[in-house]
Amino acid sequence: MRRRVAPPHPALAVRTMATDFPLSPQPAQGAGAAAPEADEAIIGAAGLGPWALGMRRLRRNKVAIAFGVLFVLLVLSALAAPLWAEHIAETTPERNHVSDVIKVDGKDTEVVSLEGVPIGPTWSGRFFLGADANGRDVMVRLLYGARNSLFIGITAALITTFMAMLLGVLAGYFRGWTDALISRLLDVMWAFPVLLLGVALGVSLQLGGLNLGPLEIQAGSLWLPTIIIGVVNIVYLARPIRGQVLSLREKEFIDAARAQGASDLRIMFGELLPNLASTLLVFFPLIVANSILLEAALSFLGAGVQPPAPSWGTMIGQGLNLIIGAPHLTVVPGLMLVMTVLSLNIFGEGVRDALDPRAKIKIEG
Amino acid sequence: MTRTWRLLCSSAAVLMASATLAACGDDDEDKAANGGSAGTPAAKTGGEATFNYPSFPDYLDPAMSYTVAGWQALVPTYTTLVTYKREKGAEGAKLIPGLAEDLPEVSEDGKTYTFTLREGLKYSDGTPVKASDFEHTIKRVIKLESGGASFYTSTIAGAEKYLKAKGNKGDISGITADEAKRQITIKLTDPNGQFPYILSMPFAGLVPGDTEFEVLTKNPPPGVGPLKISKVTGSRRFILEKNENYPDLPGVPAAKLDRITVNVVSSNERSIRDVLQNRADWMDDPSAGDALREFKNTASDRYREETTNSTYYYFLNHRVKPFDNAEVRKAVHFAIDKRALARLFGGQLTPGCNFLPPGMQGHEQIDPCPFGDPNAAPQVDKAKQMVQKAGVAGDSVTVWGNDEEQTRAVTEYLADVLNQIGFKAKPKIVDGEVYFQTIGNQKTKAQAGFANWFQDFPHPGNFLFLVDPDSIQETNNQNFSNVDDREIKTKLDELDKLPLEEAAAGYAELDRRIVENADVIPYGHRKLPVFFSDRINADAVLFHPVLQTDFTTFSLKG
Repeated sequence: MRRRVAPPHPALAVRTMATDFPLSPQPAQGAGAAAPEADEAIIGAAGLGPWALGMRRLRRNKVAIAFGVLFVLLVLSALAAPLWAEHIAETTPERNHVSDVIKVDGKDTEVVSLEGVPIGPTWSGRFFLGADANGRDVMVRLLYGARNSLFIGITAALITTFMAMLLGVLAGYFRGWTDALISRLLDVMWAFPVLLLGVALGVSLQLGGLNLGPLEIQAGSLWLPTIIIGVVNIVYLARPIRGQVLSLREKEFIDAARAQGASDLRIMFGELLPNLASTLLVFFPLIVANSILLEAALSFLGAGVQPPAPSWGTMIGQGLNLIIGAPHLTVVPGLMLVMTVLSLNIFGEGVRDALDPRAKIKIEG
Repeated sequence: MTRTWRLLCSSAAVLMASATLAACGDDDEDKAANGGSAGTPAAKTGGEATFNYPSFPDYLDPAMSYTVAGWQALVPTYTTLVTYKREKGAEGAKLIPGLAEDLPEVSEDGKTYTFTLREGLKYSDGTPVKASDFEHTIKRVIKLESGGASFYTSTIAGAEKYLKAKGNKGDISGITADEAKRQITIKLTDPNGQFPYILSMPFAGLVPGDTEFEVLTKNPPPGVGPLKISKVTGSRRFILEKNENYPDLPGVPAAKLDRITVNVVSSNERSIRDVLQNRADWMDDPSAGDALREFKNTASDRYREETTNSTYYYFLNHRVKPFDNAEVRKAVHFAIDKRALARLFGGQLTPGCNFLPPGMQGHEQIDPCPFGDPNAAPQVDKAKQMVQKAGVAGDSVTVWGNDEEQTRAVTEYLADVLNQIGFKAKPKIVDGEVYFQTIGNQKTKAQAGFANWFQDFPHPGNFLFLVDPDSIQETNNQNFSNVDDREIKTKLDELDKLPLEEAAAGYAELDRRIVENADVIPYGHRKLPVFFSDRINADAVLFHPVLQTDFTTFSLKG
């Protein structure tokens, strides 16, 4: 009887996304072990599980934690959008106030001038960050835009992760024609620039919506850009997962499971997936950031979130015509976009460093 | 027409029309002697220019195009039998002979028009022009279900029958041609004073008799005009070149420039700066914004604003709930804030209540406006109550608009107003290039949305056609509201038979009726900014009251 071999350290699962490097056969004790791990051994980390070790490393990364907190704050502010809209700004994201006159510093001020130039930031409740050309409150739209951007970013990333995991595991585990079919499908997707593919899908589905058997999504629904972004990003995660599975399936613990009579399904779910968890965890915030950026780009080009629903990309696009007279229309959503993506990227890097200090991950859009 | 705008026709009494035409003919002789357009400074000929369009024209086929963008390119490439004087102001509204030797001879009963083609006319590809080409030209308009088809099917004898017949090979009994005499005879079903104007629209710009019955935007057929469309690159660019076979028709001067490249630049901002910094020489349909203000402030010598006979309005589809109910449509009119809409156009819109624009004969200011002063706050609460009373609160409404900056803004505005008064409204923004075709297709069932109209010719009938029940079509429909009020039709038929001066009060009455019934919701009339690069001799460029920007008058500074 052979002794069951313990699965490899989950932190080792992370590799470059575009190439299928074989995984090191042994955990961090290998010749190339990184310095932090050596430190960990010195300070007595031995005995800690890989996840606990990862958490300890993450907690020590103050920058990553700070940006993680920033992201949480952004999420909380997005969740609080209705409170701000109802109790402070006293409007909705779609409400036009084109011909309204408000008091600013005791003076009557038009929300939109006769020449069509909207008011700038008032730094008070109503029109805190100014108005757009339709007289809509920019702060309110910004917060609701955050909801839309985060919803799309996170949901699209979940779709991407699930589909990439499914395809990557199937292709890597079964190999043969299954691998050939899935890989060629991914090659076809890979051949299209992601933005071009997103725009093409977004524009074509804008009029009639999506009708795929039981799946019916109306044009203008937030689910359309979500699904489009989720789908076009699959290839960027599915390929590294496939590579990793190709490597993992040759390990002794898989042989052991097979020898014990485990079915393919059980091996995939019971043995392979746990070993992919850290990879997925590391990739996830980066895919969210990437999805938010893609959503903004699609919305800017008119193929993403449809008006009057606010989105940072749409807000930037609609503000371009007034970039000199009303720079807040483009600067404010632009800053929000930068902050969100930066916080996710830096936090994601922190997670990566915590789970596998040697890995170099980059999402290429 | 739509500018994203559409052009249309109006009526005048036959006798009146004949008299006007005769008068125009005399003027034209003088013009011919002068060898071209009067009132414009002498200009250098030759050279090239670049124009920017915000979107590609709806079509570059004269049978199909029904937008200002399209017509500005097609008027100088497809001359019609009769055309307009190339003059500013009221003079420009007068008709002169185009491809015809003279203005038509009209029979005593007003039903027969006879034209004689000028001798030696050739299309831009060198093919001789034949009298029978006219019938083929009209057949294409009809069989391609052009937005202008109803002008001809409702006036020319046998045209309706030709429309209903299968295939393209039939004959329009009301059109006969005598090749030897170069004579074209057109018989009408009824006398119609608008007919000469109808013939002056680019739909009737002659094309060769073997031109295919298909939309030829990608490869436009040859025409007779100062310019020819020499190349169309996808939907991003087209090139107009001087037509070497153009016979220099009296009153329709040859083009000054050798070549005009028209690029589609969707960014309004970039397009305006292109002209400001002389990377382009002119742009069509600029929107308000930073760049326009900058242009106005820094290059005022190259900038001017032209008043247009236009109406901007919202259509509300009478065939689709909830706007099949007049009370609901009225509620919408009560809720519209026209001051807000003027701001959305950057001040380039004068709020109004009438459907007929102020410069149009037959316009009588509707005062007081039944839905409140256009320059005062709207009555949103009243509108809300009316919607509640009609039992349609909570109904879903899709508001259609296109992706051009200001159109999108006014579309989003209407959706918001509808939500304020109790509907569940959402805007639907589609590409400007396909917008009017989309909402003009009955299958779309467009409930409400943006529309506008710039005069095709100087007659109130040219606007009222938009609410004429006979204008309703399955595709390329221009009566977006599907107004099917037979009384409008009856009244229009009566007025068509009267001299315009006598009919003016009747048209004003119809205007009032349309507004009071909220058949459509007019909200203003447009001023149009026009500006040029430093290279262009701006004073020589003609902004025609009917045809808009005349490309043939562009010239480079000497």
